[in-house]
Amino acid sequence: MRGLQLPLSQTQRIRLQRALEKLQSLSCKANSDASVTVADTIPVNYEDALLKGHGTTDLNGDLVATVCGVVERINKLVYVRALRARYKPEVGDIVVGRVVEVSQKRWRLEINFSLDAILMLSSMNMPDGIQRRRTALDELNMRGIFEENDVVCAEVRNFQHDGSLQLQARSQKYGKLEKGQLLIVDPYLVKKSKQHFHHLEQFGIDLVLGRNGFIWVGEHVEARDSMVVDQANSSEQSMVPEEKNKTHTPLEMRQNICRIANAVRVLSTLGFSIDADLILETVELSSTVKIDIHDMLGSEFHVLVAEREAERRSLVGKRKR
Amino acid sequence: MAAKPGSAPVTYSPNLGQKTRPPIFKDNDLDWVRPDGRGFHQCRPAFFRTGAVNSASGSAYAELGSTKVIVSVFGPRESKKAMMYSDTGRLNCNVSYTTFATPVRGQGSDHKEFSSMLLKALEGAIMLETFPKTTVDVFALVLESGGSFITLVTGDLPVVISCASLALADAGIMMYDLVAAVSVSCLGKNLVIDPVLEEESYQDGSLMLTCMPSRYEVTQLTFTGEWSTPDINEAMQLCLDACSKLGKVMRTCLKEAASASQE
Repeated sequence: MRGLQLPLSQTQRIRLQRALEKLQSLSCKANSDASVTVADTIPVNYEDALLKGHGTTDLNGDLVATVCGVVERINKLVYVRALRARYKPEVGDIVVGRVVEVSQKRWRLEINFSLDAILMLSSMNMPDGIQRRRTALDELNMRGIFEENDVVCAEVRNFQHDGSLQLQARSQKYGKLEKGQLLIVDPYLVKKSKQHFHHLEQFGIDLVLGRNGFIWVGEHVEARDSMVVDQANSSEQSMVPEEKNKTHTPLEMRQNICRIANAVRVLSTLGFSIDADLILETVELSSTVKIDIHDMLGSEFHVLVAEREAERRSLVGKRKR
Repeated sequence: MAAKPGSAPVTYSPNLGQKTRPPIFKDNDLDWVRPDGRGFHQCRPAFFRTGAVNSASGSAYAELGSTKVIVSVFGPRESKKAMMYSDTGRLNCNVSYTTFATPVRGQGSDHKEFSSMLLKALEGAIMLETFPKTTVDVFALVLESGGSFITLVTGDLPVVISCASLALADAGIMMYDLVAAVSVSCLGKNLVIDPVLEEESYQDGSLMLTCMPSRYEVTQLTFTGEWSTPDINEAMQLCLDACSKLGKVMRTCLKEAASASQE
């Protein structure tokens, strides 16, 4: 079942309810008049020249909703924002995806969208860093770069005329993600921000918040610099990735990765927006309370996080006034 | 019905004027008491809940009496078969029964007829042009069957259709309106709404009506058996009333789910 399905004891249930009520009273968006279900009439002033946006349709002169959601009005635009819908990509968004298919001159990635996204071979930097025309040999060696089920980080380049999505991975920070965990949360929990790549120094961990709801937590990898190398050096470099695969991730690093991943899972179950600061605070909370990593997914920690968040938001609110 | 040699093959036509069994109700027999004590024009109380399946885009669970159905909706997602570009989306429905759904434990089967009827009922209500090139998959699983599924119509299909439209609304797929379905049985001169297994075995005819309550439009109408014209009119009117009430119940369910998730 959707929603919080934790075995809560009576006191935990009361505490959680109180924290959630406090959060609801603090948020200014709790306006139940604005929520509509399918075929509800949307209250509008018909004399205005209105723009009927997504999720609305005209029925006998009335404006009627076609999805369940919240009515948003911006100037003359009236539209219904669906509560649970697929990720809506925008140009320039950073997304994390999994390779589904390797086809002619392109890779197809699954991001949390209605269609699979396409990453063209020409939108990808070559391993040796030279900007050149992709030859047939490059096409045959595509599997050496990404294979099926690899996790890739890229940026939305544009939309094709038929609605499918094109990605690009042109700088060193994009590309294959290794040695870590991929987490899937709801897309609306990851808001657009200035930084989607976070390097957590105290843990030595990379955190990539994809706007499609795919979050990557992994060991930190130094961005390789794209110098032009000649053949001798290229053979040397091709040995280094193999060696890297053989290096063992230390236990402490794995524990840190799991701790951060569990923090993200707790935040997504409680429905809080996910950003790097909140994740760090949750991880600190878990270490101050000295909770084991696997206990983080238990009910007590969920209640603690909810209470902490309610306190934090009420403090922020008081500071503003 | 062998064709005479040398003649063109005849089309099959039913043998009229020969009843296979005597009518159960000889006169205006109003003494039939429904097994669960309902009135003739009373539907079973309905229970709906969305969000039953976590891994699906949208899902719903419905319980009407002893009929229990769970529907999960996936999509819009990429069509598995490589298809020509089409500017409307595709809807793919699948209705299956569990092995423990019927009183006699049988083989869980995949009902192609029910699947195509579910497809026809939902097609008219969904705006297919909002998700071109993609497919929406609707999987309905009947956990317990309250009606017989030996006769094609009635029984569980109305519950499956209503539950499926709730699941589609939960998944955020654009629709013209919710779809509610109700079935009516004709037992002699009586019209019995929302029949159970026993009533269906005695029926003379049955009708299933699927409509969009707010728009007052019918998406699917299925008649079987013997009907007289005035009975047809009365039965359709009954169904339309019941559908609008069922539509209100479905709306309250969606509103509760929406207000719960807005925290």
